[in-house]
Amino acid sequence: MIRLLGSRFYENLMMALDTLRGNKLRSFLTIFGVVVGVITVMLISSIISGINVAVEKQVESFGTRSIFLYKFNIGFSTGRRSREERMRKPLTVEDSDAIKNLPSIETSVPFLDVSNNFWGSKILVTGRNGKSSSAVQLQGTLPEIEKTTTEVLMAGRWFSQSESDEKANVCLIGSSVVDTYFPYTDPVGEELDIGGTPFRVIGVLEKKEQLFGGGGGNNDQSNVIYMPLGAALKLKPNEDDLFILAVAREGMLDQAKDDVEDLLRVRRRVPYGQPNNFSMETAASIIEQFKSITAGVAAAMIVISSIGLMIGGIGVMNIMLVSVTERTREIGIRKAIGARQGDILLQFLIEAATLTGFGGLVGLLIGWLLTLLVKLVLPSYVPLWAPIAGFFASVGIGLVFGLWPAWKAARLDPIESLRYE
Amino acid sequence: MYKFMDDENGERQPAATDTAQTGEGLILMKNIWKTYQMGVEELHALRDVSFSVNKGEYLAIIGPSGSGKSTLMNLIGCLDSPTKGDYWINGNLVSTMTDDELARIRNKEIGFVFQTFNLLARATALHNVELPLIYAGMGSGERYEKAQAALASVELGDRVGHKPNELSGGQRQRVAIARALVNHPSILLADEPTGALDSKTSVEIMALFEKLHAEGNTIIIVTHEHEVAERAHRVITIRDGRIENDEKIK
Repeated sequence: MIRLLGSRFYENLMMALDTLRGNKLRSFLTIFGVVVGVITVMLISSIISGINVAVEKQVESFGTRSIFLYKFNIGFSTGRRSREERMRKPLTVEDSDAIKNLPSIETSVPFLDVSNNFWGSKILVTGRNGKSSSAVQLQGTLPEIEKTTTEVLMAGRWFSQSESDEKANVCLIGSSVVDTYFPYTDPVGEELDIGGTPFRVIGVLEKKEQLFGGGGGNNDQSNVIYMPLGAALKLKPNEDDLFILAVAREGMLDQAKDDVEDLLRVRRRVPYGQPNNFSMETAASIIEQFKSITAGVAAAMIVISSIGLMIGGIGVMNIMLVSVTERTREIGIRKAIGARQGDILLQFLIEAATLTGFGGLVGLLIGWLLTLLVKLVLPSYVPLWAPIAGFFASVGIGLVFGLWPAWKAARLDPIESLRYE
Repeated sequence: MYKFMDDENGERQPAATDTAQTGEGLILMKNIWKTYQMGVEELHALRDVSFSVNKGEYLAIIGPSGSGKSTLMNLIGCLDSPTKGDYWINGNLVSTMTDDELARIRNKEIGFVFQTFNLLARATALHNVELPLIYAGMGSGERYEKAQAALASVELGDRVGHKPNELSGGQRQRVAIARALVNHPSILLADEPTGALDSKTSVEIMALFEKLHAEGNTIIIVTHEHEVAERAHRVITIRDGRIENDEKIK
């Protein structure tokens, strides 16, 4: 039985391929919609996987054991923050110190961003070479930053506890800052003018990998200057918008999250049963958050590309109806020599599915070549489900839209068909 | 779905009584009527036709156009069902069969030869001859051998790879005859088999029919040409939907 069906399937497949060869241009035009639909699926899946991988890498570069704490919700949100959120009080250096003392925590560092923002007064960074910029990210922090893995020291050293206590005007600079102000000289030991105060450069940081191939301006994560928290406060005495990076001990991330949450709820007097008035994220949770967004985008794009596939399917139905009419006589002959309705139905269904399946394969091939181009920009890959789904969707389109023409063919009257000119 | 997977070995077993009534006849038609409804009017293409054909007969059905000859041929060939009456072929009562059952009978019991050959243009001679075997569900190895043998028996063993447009009219008709014979049907049913051929080729084809008859095949030729009919051993003349004459001439 299986062998029988198999051999009949094979015969039909061969006949279908023969028909496709016989009508090259028509076949190509017919499957065009399906080809485009499958290319779209391939491209979208590779772009989205690429973005996911890039974000994952980026976030994990902050450390998989890291816990990010901030008064506002971290992550990807749209619209205005709620009143409750805007009223939250900032995190403090004392919070950070308390967290650091938790047994499940290895270290904890506060960051104070004193860079220019929309409201504050401008702080210019000026170099000896005469260059001046207000776009550099200025971060005040504590010596514990050395123990986190966020930045890698390339030359020089981090500032010491005593420099921190003395609010010394020393700083470490990112690679982009080096490029701007010290293109030809060793920056360590040189001076930079930050907001009118001379800071001594004591260390240089390694270039950070960029999400979308880099670029300058505010998104350049290597365009950064770290200085002692006290020194930063001298530049902007009223700034209190503190961000805390805590690092859990090896294998204790979950425990650490619980401990930090409990501690901050107590310190910030969150009543029992109320939601946190601060946000706590980990690399994993941020990646999760991001992936749910890209999944939404993917779903939307798949809906769009399936509209393309549907239109392709209607084209297939149209051409199959023409084909059935053209081959009325052939159908008559086949019926006269013993083809049953099911045989004719199967023949035309297989023909339609072969047509669209071939379109799917062409789409996969072109799509695959295009994803190689995407790879030049994004660390993308094509997830296995994409080509499989693309191929089966195109075969399915053929089966669904071929059904009506095939049924029409199967129902033809043999006598009339044999007489058909 | 059952259409794809019914009876691997062919026959639906007919009821015992069906066989009993056919007697010796390979074909038995009893009181066959075929009526077409043309608006309010009824058009009787066949009126109360009864006859039988025994195994090994060489029969010609002759009549002017409009006589009901084509309708009769369609009924014999199981392409159509009668409005009234019973029709047995090789013990099967076909007058009440469904479309798919008729297809099965056409495949197993009847070999068609048409005036215009009706070969598949894109397929080779071999593939054309294999086609009935494909629908019979035969495996490719056996099919190939049988089709080769059938083509050899009509002296086209060296043309198996040719497509119809690479063959002459006579050769095409011989391919069609090979296709009709390949499944060893009960009857070879030919509709104006020489109608599209020149006289020399016609003679060749008619000679081939005689040879096939001598080998034991039952042959029914439907024609309006008397020269063709005269080659047969029995001639049935149809006029106005009735059998006007039924005589043995050899």
